[in-house]
Amino acid sequence: MDIDKTKCVGCGNCHVICTMGAISLGEDGKSVVNQDECVECSTCYRVLRNEGYPPWFVRAIRKALFFFKLGYLADIDLCPTGALTPPELTWPRILRAQFSNPTVVHPGTGVPGRGTDEIKSNDVTGRLRQGEAGLVVEIGRPGLGAFFRDIEKVAMALAPLAPIFEPENPVTHLISDFKTGRMKEDILDEKVLSAIIEMKIDLERIPVFLLALEKVQREIDTVISVGVASRCLPDGTIPHEEWVQKAGYPLSPNGKTNLGLGKPRFREDEP
Amino acid sequence: MTNTLHRQGEMESLKHDYIIFAHTAKGKNREGSAEKNREFMRICQKYHPVNMGDVKQGSVLHDDIEFQSLLATMEDGTVAAAVFTDIDTLQKVVEDLIRADLGLCINISGLLDEVRKCCRRVGITRHSAEHSLGVWGALDRLPEREVMEFNTMCGHGMVSFNLIRKMIEQVRLRRMTPKQAAGMMAKCCECGAFNPARAEALLERMRSRGFLHSEKRASSHGLATLPE
Repeated sequence: MDIDKTKCVGCGNCHVICTMGAISLGEDGKSVVNQDECVECSTCYRVLRNEGYPPWFVRAIRKALFFFKLGYLADIDLCPTGALTPPELTWPRILRAQFSNPTVVHPGTGVPGRGTDEIKSNDVTGRLRQGEAGLVVEIGRPGLGAFFRDIEKVAMALAPLAPIFEPENPVTHLISDFKTGRMKEDILDEKVLSAIIEMKIDLERIPVFLLALEKVQREIDTVISVGVASRCLPDGTIPHEEWVQKAGYPLSPNGKTNLGLGKPRFREDEP
Repeated sequence: MTNTLHRQGEMESLKHDYIIFAHTAKGKNREGSAEKNREFMRICQKYHPVNMGDVKQGSVLHDDIEFQSLLATMEDGTVAAAVFTDIDTLQKVVEDLIRADLGLCINISGLLDEVRKCCRRVGITRHSAEHSLGVWGALDRLPEREVMEFNTMCGHGMVSFNLIRKMIEQVRLRRMTPKQAAGMMAKCCECGAFNPARAEALLERMRSRGFLHSEKRASSHGLATLPE
């Protein structure tokens, strides 16, 4: 995100809204964006209404209030002068928007948000079948963000275990070597709000993968939200529960359920 | 929509937090799904969700988005979502969706046991399920538990830690009501998965229990849901 210095009056509303805390007040009394930390999520631009006042008018009002020792508590959800300006993004910076702005559809998967399908359409795709588990490893969530160099560390910890990286996943498209987990060199300094490594593994290998994650979590300077999924048994029980518990990890009482109402329904005997 | 998987909070609070959403798959049921998504939204709307939206256009809690215009401009392949605060109402939505037979992939995020019971009551067996194994890594960089309860209601991460702190502070100073503060947070969430009713209840609870009194997270990986 850019801020038009000729318009900004330094009200600070965008500082609070910024998901990465990347906007601050510069020495000139106007807001400035730390471009290294900004993930181009555009939350500031979308949420703060542009009041469209001329900057000189806002400054004059403020000076007048200050003169009379009066304060004014403006609404937090507005930018009085419309100073926020979304830039034209090019590669590799455009990845920031693709992974951080949920309204942007990932070009590779056609899915908005973080661009992943997981179990959400498993009833029609059969992506996860009986005996298989889906592992979703979201790096940077909640709220801290992640550089691709951290995402690469996690990918490199998991790749030697030979999972099947989900082909319809935006992170998979950025891995240059699936044996080592190395990612494309030119993206490593790009920061995103979060990115999901999505894999398919055999159920009984869940403990091995969780152990690898346990080790790599200490090597990165951000957080990871971990999820595990599977196709339910005919009586509705969840087969991955047993393997996660065997590995010694607690399961959350809340989670996601695919009701199986999608059509055409995938049949287990399909190739 | 992994954004609805890792919601944190006490069990009592999570009992009032269910998100139902429609998804499609390329080459399977995505093509021509716009009208079905509209019908999904109409069915949800009938039961008065506390939030709803479409990730491509935003939620109905945004200043400039009306329900009818949201419907009119829905496209194939969007992810439509609605938030309900009790499982009984959600069950009625599911019953209507079964009758409508839209062929969309319908998912619910919420307490898994409650959703399973709901499935049984309406005569279906759940197809697939996903658990959160919590947050790992640099947990010492995360804020207090109370802040996380708000932040994880928008898993896309649109509700910043700083905004949540500011809203808590505004409520503490009585400059905003819990409803206003919850509404401000909900405006940041694009897809309509944020639960403003639960956020309001959390802020009300803070008034009686105290503001931001919990310790920061421990340094080991934690559960997505916190003990009561």
